[in-house]
Amino acid sequence: MDEDFSHSLQKVAELGGHEEEVWHIAWNPAKSLLASCSSDKSVRLFTYNHDGEGTLKFSLATSIPTGHLKTVRSVAWSPSGSTLATASFDSNIGIWEQEQPDEDGHSGEWECASLLEGHETECKSVAYSSTGTLLASCSRDKTVWVWEVQPDSDFECMGVLMEHTQDVKCVAWHPTEEILASGSYDDTIKIYVDDPQDDWFCCTTLTGHESTVWALGWSPNGKYLASSSDDKTVRIWKRVGEYEFKCVLVLEGHDRSVYSVSWGVGNIGQEADPLNLGRIASAGGDGIIRVWDLHENPSSDKPTAKLVARLPSAHGTYDINTVVWCPRKGYQDLLATSGDDGMVKIWKIQAS
Amino acid sequence: RQLSAAKKSLWMMTDDSSDGSEEMDAEEGEEEEIDQDEIFDLIRNICDPEHPTTTLEELHVVSASQIFIGGSNNKPNTVKVEFTPTVPHCGASTYIGLSIRVRLIRSLPTRFKLDIAVKPGSHQSEHAVNKQLNDKERVAAALENPALVKMIETCLTGRE
Repeated sequence: MDEDFSHSLQKVAELGGHEEEVWHIAWNPAKSLLASCSSDKSVRLFTYNHDGEGTLKFSLATSIPTGHLKTVRSVAWSPSGSTLATASFDSNIGIWEQEQPDEDGHSGEWECASLLEGHETECKSVAYSSTGTLLASCSRDKTVWVWEVQPDSDFECMGVLMEHTQDVKCVAWHPTEEILASGSYDDTIKIYVDDPQDDWFCCTTLTGHESTVWALGWSPNGKYLASSSDDKTVRIWKRVGEYEFKCVLVLEGHDRSVYSVSWGVGNIGQEADPLNLGRIASAGGDGIIRVWDLHENPSSDKPTAKLVARLPSAHGTYDINTVVWCPRKGYQDLLATSGDDGMVKIWKIQAS
Repeated sequence: RQLSAAKKSLWMMTDDSSDGSEEMDAEEGEEEEIDQDEIFDLIRNICDPEHPTTTLEELHVVSASQIFIGGSNNKPNTVKVEFTPTVPHCGASTYIGLSIRVRLIRSLPTRFKLDIAVKPGSHQSEHAVNKQLNDKERVAAALENPALVKMIETCLTGRE
């Protein structure tokens, strides 16, 4: 009855401490830090290192009582890894920076350097652009905001995009270009770019999902976008023109809403395969982590997806809210998940 | 504080395998079976926010036959509750559905995934109501709204 998969997920760590469900997690792209956020309104930062025997150990670095008045729904690191943004149901965005270490060498406290107000209702997602010069946020108020990051934790709103007809659930920046994607309760994905002569505008709308789009993840090479949905599927969209995207693949198998999708590098670079597109992880209400290897197809414009690992009950009977690959070199086989059980779990993918 | 306690009990109910131990011991670890009637008992006395002295059962909004238990035979793990709004334009439908959801989240073991929906054809905004009731983020946000929580608690207290 056991299905055979080429890979398996081994548990590396179980990180507790949140008092309520953990909605989102984010790996710091530059340092050994992982941030998690919860309905308990706190952010926890975990650090990780190899111990004397070469085993990877995770431990709590600090817990930040954010001062947000409601659930902290999502967290995002700036590319430099020095700034953390928090999006809360209290409609605000917090910008957090660590103070300098004191004279005794104790690491500094994380302080709220700025509070971005503007959204009218729950803020659901926040993301830094690849260069760290722009921040995007979205809300149940149906808008997407693009902020310019200025010196001294100053932010200027560059545009309020009112394209969606319902809550905007997620925002995700292209890995190298200034292209922004948003997913919504209106079942669509919208793509935005900056017109140098004018403002930010929506250049295209991707339709196909039959229910809420919960999460988005660009492929490492930026040529594809993955979206996960309440319709229980993950869709793969290929960029076929400057502002043109086409759905080339639908990944099925989840039994309930797919709340999260993450596109990691997988074995790219480790093997001489120019067609390798990396590795997608997806998870959601069915509590199952699924991992797919993606390859471009020389004879077709549709890539091939192969399910390489499947782990049921990753958080017991609870929903998984986020699944995310570690972006740091040397740690890219690590996957973090967070769930309604208040736990953050770390997994390592291995050939079985 | 009270709000947070109310919300905490929402998703973080202790698991059936770890809690309810006294009952479990008495039954030598056998899992209690959950049937339609038992779930109906949990929701029949919820009151309609627009008719605070009348229960959902009396208004024929809920019935045992509109409760569906799914999953494998020896390990049921989904519960779907359909309810019938009193009128097709009933503005209180989302509150009724939310009250049913909160009662079941608090009462059922966490292994049950819940789906709440209006009876097909019974509401003019059927799709919108159902979508809202089953969006966990919207439900979580609604339960951080003190006025809404107060209304739901009143519905759940029922007619004393």
